[in-house]
This record gives sequence, structure tokens and C-alpha cells, in this order.
Amino acid sequence: MWRWQITASAAAALLIAGLLGVGFGPVNLEFGAIVRTLLGLPNGLENEDRTLLLELRLPRVVLGALVGAALATSGAVYQSVFRNPLADPYLLGTASGAGLGATIAITNGGGDLHALLPIFAFLGGVLAVAATFLVAGRLFADPSTLLLAGIAVGSFATAFQTYLQQRNSAALRPVYSWILGELTVANWDVVKWAGFYILIALAVLIRISKVLDALMLSDEEAYSLGVSPQKIRLIAVAAATLATATAVSASGLIGFVGIVVPHLVRGLTKRATNRSLLSIAFVGAAFLVIADLGARTLLSPAELPIGVITAFVGAPFFLFVLRARNRGSQ
Amino acid sequence: MINIENLSVRFDNTEVLQSISLDIPEGTWSCLVGPNGAGKTTLLRTMLGMQSYSGSIKYNDREIAKNKSLNIAFVPQRPSIPAAMSVAEYVMLGRAKLDGWGKESAHSRNIVHEMLEATQLLGMQSQLVNTLSGGEMQRVLIARALVQEPEVMLLDEPTSALDLHHQISVLNKVEEIKATGVTIISTMHDITLGAMYAERIIIMQSGRVLLDGESQSVIHSPELRSAFDDRISVHLLENGRPVIIAAKRVTGLEQGVI
Repeated sequence: MWRWQITASAAAALLIAGLLGVGFGPVNLEFGAIVRTLLGLPNGLENEDRTLLLELRLPRVVLGALVGAALATSGAVYQSVFRNPLADPYLLGTASGAGLGATIAITNGGGDLHALLPIFAFLGGVLAVAATFLVAGRLFADPSTLLLAGIAVGSFATAFQTYLQQRNSAALRPVYSWILGELTVANWDVVKWAGFYILIALAVLIRISKVLDALMLSDEEAYSLGVSPQKIRLIAVAAATLATATAVSASGLIGFVGIVVPHLVRGLTKRATNRSLLSIAFVGAAFLVIADLGARTLLSPAELPIGVITAFVGAPFFLFVLRARNRGSQ
Repeated sequence: MINIENLSVRFDNTEVLQSISLDIPEGTWSCLVGPNGAGKTTLLRTMLGMQSYSGSIKYNDREIAKNKSLNIAFVPQRPSIPAAMSVAEYVMLGRAKLDGWGKESAHSRNIVHEMLEATQLLGMQSQLVNTLSGGEMQRVLIARALVQEPEVMLLDEPTSALDLHHQISVLNKVEEIKATGVTIISTMHDITLGAMYAERIIIMQSGRVLLDGESQSVIHSPELRSAFDDRISVHLLENGRPVIIAAKRVTGLEQGVI
């Protein structure tokens, strides 16, 4: 019963966040008309207001939800796979690889390559994770070897990225703003391709979420229960990497969601994270939609990078949950 | 009956287990003894089917690696301890092979309750596993293995993290499990304790079986001392029970040396 209730509450939180997300912005729209437009009822918004809602705010909210769900779920899965509560979705070099890819697109491409930034970032992220596995020596490397290999590959990619950036000072600002994360690029095309990969990855992760419990045991115990922990780890890391790389390529590096949300859900439910992966996906989506609302409205009409909001809100909240949990266990 | 014949395991170019042959009768307790690096844990992992090997390991005439339905439980030396998981939930994971992952039948809840009671954990079932002491965690690991209702139980140093009191209580529990017909194979650094509980001791050194036989005869054999480069000595207590200690520390006790 509790699982059903938690998942339903998390879905409700996403729904509310979504309505707030489309309801507020620099331009005031009547809330009733927004709801009627979304439901396809008569007396909805018209002309520019309709375009503003359906072509700007809605895709942005949907993209925010997809990216939030991807980062939060991947974070939770990485924490299970690496048995490390501080693991985040950028751990295996995804972030630095994507950062390098994005910087190559921004610095070398001028106008042409900039349009390909998402593809470069995606490839950079995926290649960095592949390099991590290569450096670790084998596909079924143990978690700590992978972790160290990820740090090495990440540092290398960051060093290379910084070198490119310094050689081309004009690129500093766009690279910097990309690194802080942005959802301003959202349109239905981005939503479609990002949604395609993210939903596939999330479906895989949620499907294997029950077997992820096996990773809480030692490898021998998991094996004695009929599960190959190495295979589960590989599938989980591959799907989480696909979700993360897609999220990063669509919206830059949005930090903290992958750590805060799983811990928040775990703190509230007192359950191991992979038991509530679907709830984590919903809460992650809601969290990022609300964070983006803050990014759009706090300094309106100017925009704050969303990564600043997630860290600004997420860090104190995270500390609060951590303190509450520690007090609970004492 | 477990029959191991000519079993070898290689890591890269090193042969870590070399031509091991053993017959282990059902419902007995065998204890693997030997210095670090002798291959004890590798042998347990291979018997679990985790390691590729040459030769054969058969349980009731069926090859272990190909027999997925065979229920072998494993109690690890170094457990993985998740955050935010209660003792009862952790123990319930042991039912996954029988019930399916993420499922809990009423029957399974009864068995978990029964095994928590048997391991004196009933009062702690809602406590989080990451807040337990070493002794409590060891009992949780054993309870988790027991709810699996295994035919064979492999224990890797089940007493290494425990004080004397808990060593005895854990080993007594394993002895009770053996009495129900489960075959027990354990590794143990404390040979004295191993000989006290297991009816059979298998001495390993550098990936080979040096000697294998009834505990009391093995413990008095010269092979035992040679496996540890003569750095241990065997003493007899007044009641005739042997005590094995590190040789450097026994000056003044030479009288009892065998």
C-alpha cells in the first residue's frame, strides 16, 4: 500500500509543479484559460498567448520534467550500483565528457557547429563513460575501479576543455552559461528527441529496479540468489548514462538533482532508493520544473541559470534532510 | 554429496586453485583452513558457480555451474551494508530466489520471522542495518542466508569480526543448521574453533589441498604446521581438546607442544 501512496503523491507533486510551471512567467496569463487550453476546452487562450503557452512554456516545462526525472533516477541508480550515497549521475565522466564536447562545438564551430552542440555534448558524455570502462580494463570492472577510472577520465576531459576555452576567450561566456545549465533552448523538437532516449532509459531502469536490490548485497550473495551483479550493473550504468547524456545535451550541466532528489525521497520514505525509483523520477521532474520556474521569474525578465537555483535551493534542503536523518538514527 | 574432481581455477596466468579433488557428504560441516592466499575464498566462490573453472563440481551428480535451481547460500566475510534498509527488509532479500525480486509472500514473512527469532534479532527487525554492531550484522547475514532455505551453506570467515561470545553463539547457530541436513562449508582462520565445530578439516596451501580428513586427526598432522611454515603449534588442554596458537608466542608453553 505504501508504495502506491508514495508514487501517487509524487505524481501529484509533478502535476502541481507542471501547472505552476505553465501558469507563471514574465507574461501574466489567466490560469483558468491555461487549463482550458491544455484540456482542449472552449474559451482557452488565443493568438500570442496561446503560442506563448503551447510553444514556449509547455515544451520548457516538459523538457524540465524529462531532464529532472533523468538526472534524479540516474543518480539513485548510480548510488545503488556504486554502493555510495554520494554518487551522482556525472560520476563516470559524463559531465566532463559532455562539457568537452560542448566546448568543441562552441569554440571550433562558429555558427555551424553550435547548432550541433547537443550532439557533441551527447557524444562527449557517452565516449567519456566508454573511456572510463576502457581505462578500468574490463566491462565487468568492480565499482571502486570504475569510480577511480571515472575520476581520471573526467579530469582529463576537463583539462582539455579548459585548454580549448583559454585558447578561445570569446567562447568563455557561452561555455560558462552552458555549464551552469539552461532550459532556454526548449522546443518541441528538443523535447521529442530528448524524450525518446530518456523515456527508453527510464523504462529500462524502472523495469530492473526490483533486481537492483541484489546490488545491496555482496556480489556472492547476489549470485547465490540467481542474479549476476556484474550484468545488472552494466545494464543499469548503460541506461543511466543514456539518460544522463541526453539530459546534459538538452540542458547543460544541471547539478545537484541526482543527489538531492534520491536522498530526499529516501529521507521521507525511509526506504532504500531503488525501491521507489518511479517516485524518484516524479519528484526529480517536479523539482526541476519548480527550479526552472524560479530561474525564469526571480530576476525577470532576466534569467538565472537553472543550475544556480538547483544548488541554491538543493544544498540547504539536502543538509536539512541529512541532519534529520542523522538525528533519527542516533 | 558434493564431488569436486580435478578442479582448477586460473586468474590471468596464475593458477589459484590446482587440481583439487574432494568429496563432501551431505549434512556435514567442512572447514577450509590455510594461510592467506591459499585459495579458500576462491574455492567457495567457485563452488557457488561464480568463477569459471576446469574440472568438475557436482552436487548429487549434477554440475553446480549448470544447475541454476540448486539453492546455495553464501555468508560473506565483508558484507555490503546499504543505507536506509531495515533488518527485516534485508533478511527478506534472501527470499528473492524463491519468491521473485520485490515480492513478499505471507509464507516468506513467516519464515523471516522464524529466522529472526532463531538468530535473536526479533527485537531489532525494524532497526536500520547500517546502525548495527559487527556481531549483530553477522547474525543478520546468517538469517538472510537461512531464509533462502539452502541445501548448501558457504560461510567465508563467519566469525572474523566477532568477539568470543558472539563467535560461539554464531557457530552454535550454524551447528543447529547443519543438524537440519544442510551441508556447511566454511573458511576459518581460528583453527581451534574450526576443529571444535566442523567434523572435517581441509588444509589448503598455495591453491592445493594439502590434507583432508577428520578434524581431530588433521589437527595433529605435521601438514597443518607445514601449511603455516611451522609458525603455529598445537597444544592439548587437560580435557584433551587441542588449542592452536602462533608459535612465536608460546615460549614457556613448550611442554604441551605436539
